[in-house]
Amino acid sequence: MKKVESTLENIRDDIKKFYDYKVWHFITMNGVALDGERFEVQWIFSRYEAMDESVIYYTVTEYDKIIPSIEDIIPSSIISQREVVDMFGVKIDGSEAGLYLDADSLQMPLRGCGL
Amino acid sequence: MKESFSKAFQNLFKKPQTIDYPVTEIKKDKDYRGLIEYCEEECIYCLKCEKACPPGAILFVGVENPPKNEKNKKGLKYHYNPYLCIYCQECVRACPKPNEALWQSNKKPTIGVASDRVNDEWFELEAIKK
Amino acid sequence: MKKTIHIPLGSQHISLLEPVKFKFECENEKIIGVDSDVGFVHRGVERACTTKFKFDGVGYVVARVCGLCAITHSMTYTASIEKMLQTQIPLKAKYLRMLLLELDRIHSHMLCLSHVSENAGFEAIFMRIMGDRELIMEIQELITGNRVQFDFISIGGVNRDISSEHIKKVKEALKVVRSKVDGYIDEFTNNWSLSLKYKNIGVLSLDDAYRFNAIGPLARASGLKIDVRNEIDYLPYSEIGFEMQTSTGGDIHARNVVRLNEIVNSIQMCENILDALPEGEIQTKVKGKPDGEVLVRYEAPRGELAYYVKGGGKPMLDRVRIKTPTFASIPSFSHIFMGSQYADAPAILASFDPCLSCTAK
Repeated sequence: MKKVESTLENIRDDIKKFYDYKVWHFITMNGVALDGERFEVQWIFSRYEAMDESVIYYTVTEYDKIIPSIEDIIPSSIISQREVVDMFGVKIDGSEAGLYLDADSLQMPLRGCGL
Repeated sequence: MKESFSKAFQNLFKKPQTIDYPVTEIKKDKDYRGLIEYCEEECIYCLKCEKACPPGAILFVGVENPPKNEKNKKGLKYHYNPYLCIYCQECVRACPKPNEALWQSNKKPTIGVASDRVNDEWFELEAIKK
Repeated sequence: MKKTIHIPLGSQHISLLEPVKFKFECENEKIIGVDSDVGFVHRGVERACTTKFKFDGVGYVVARVCGLCAITHSMTYTASIEKMLQTQIPLKAKYLRMLLLELDRIHSHMLCLSHVSENAGFEAIFMRIMGDRELIMEIQELITGNRVQFDFISIGGVNRDISSEHIKKVKEALKVVRSKVDGYIDEFTNNWSLSLKYKNIGVLSLDDAYRFNAIGPLARASGLKIDVRNEIDYLPYSEIGFEMQTSTGGDIHARNVVRLNEIVNSIQMCENILDALPEGEIQTKVKGKPDGEVLVRYEAPRGELAYYVKGGGKPMLDRVRIKTPTFASIPSFSHIFMGSQYADAPAILASFDPCLSCTAK
């Protein structure tokens, strides 16, 4: 498992440069709560037909920053983006909330969870 | 194509695959997982089963008239909730005296109906434990 | 001006067992727009794993994510904890794990095939496959003691050994299932009325499979070579005769054929496992608390299952991320529906083998 750090401004360019859709398989987008204000956003990839070769692009950001969407680079990322929006109560360009949670559910269940 | 027609036709005259339960009993293997059983005399009160149980279906709670057992220094009594139990056998594996103090049978629990309030007593025990 | 109509499929529908809702925008019979809603049964498993249960109990919690592929969830989770604690488990435990994982794949694929034929209007095959699937369910119950939630895999190995008497029974049952599956392969390829409903319907091209990151039988039916069993080293799949099954059509028929061939391959693997079952322990003692982060993948019956686990040296984990196969396939599902006839939608949906309790975990 290789981890590559990036910033919120560069992440789109980094993934665009890195992602070749016939070589890399996009697994999912993920969030990990770090403390009350910050969390780590991850984009996880694995190489087709390779033995356990995965790459995680990540960036550490505050909850109130808007995270850029990579939907135009990887169309299948839309669903995991919507999950991150729901679970952490953050904003991602063009991803609406409400995939899992309703108005009367517990909101942002994973924010600050597991600390 | 012909074969599938003939098979479908043959099936009309076959016995049903399902069992006529409860008239016919369901076959039960001796290794099927069921209720956890406990022997008070053999227990050494190490509380390992209580810690190992993932859903917390075993509780040792202090009572006024504890079972007479020289190992039971804190006056605890074993409680087991069959409706919480997931039959994973984790407690039996944690037990220092498996098959003597604690073992898994292949018996089914009785059906818990909401009106019986099967868990009320259990919630009281959990409150005492906390 | 063109007029379109909106037709919902789900969340409760006669042909669906799962609570998923698709809103189709139709132009006469043709679907031109798809909107999906999958979050009807969200239970907050990921949160429960990090707030309510210690790491050694989480394996039993994640098994409850899904009823059909419960064992793949506990497998992937335990593998990630073992990777973090750098534990080597005994070879016999690995073989027994693979046996149950492959049996699980057989019965899950059989369930899917029966539903596809039911949704294509062929109820006789549905009944027959479900009846034969019972043989696999019975031997699973015999080996593990439980019918659905096996709770067979635990951190450090497996919970039960297999007796020689059981080995004999499993072999007999597998032989019967094998002969039945050969019959199904014939019927699914040659039956005229089934091919009307399956061939050239719900097509996903190879390029689209790459673009939408399709996984599992859905991707392999389009010719995309992705099978995680080929890409892992914590289970010795190469030793027991694993072969990746692919097809080229990308339609419902190709998916059925891939599943049927996988059943045949799985039966073969199970037989090889039983013939070459090594001697030895089935459990090792595991010490320590998980620290660090790992990503472990495994091929569930529906495709790639991924666990990202992060621990901080405490009994409680920091993060458990479960990426389930159906969840990741939703974008490709929506893409396949575009341009299809509305009347084919239930059969197409069943051919995806969706598992919504996995998706909404």
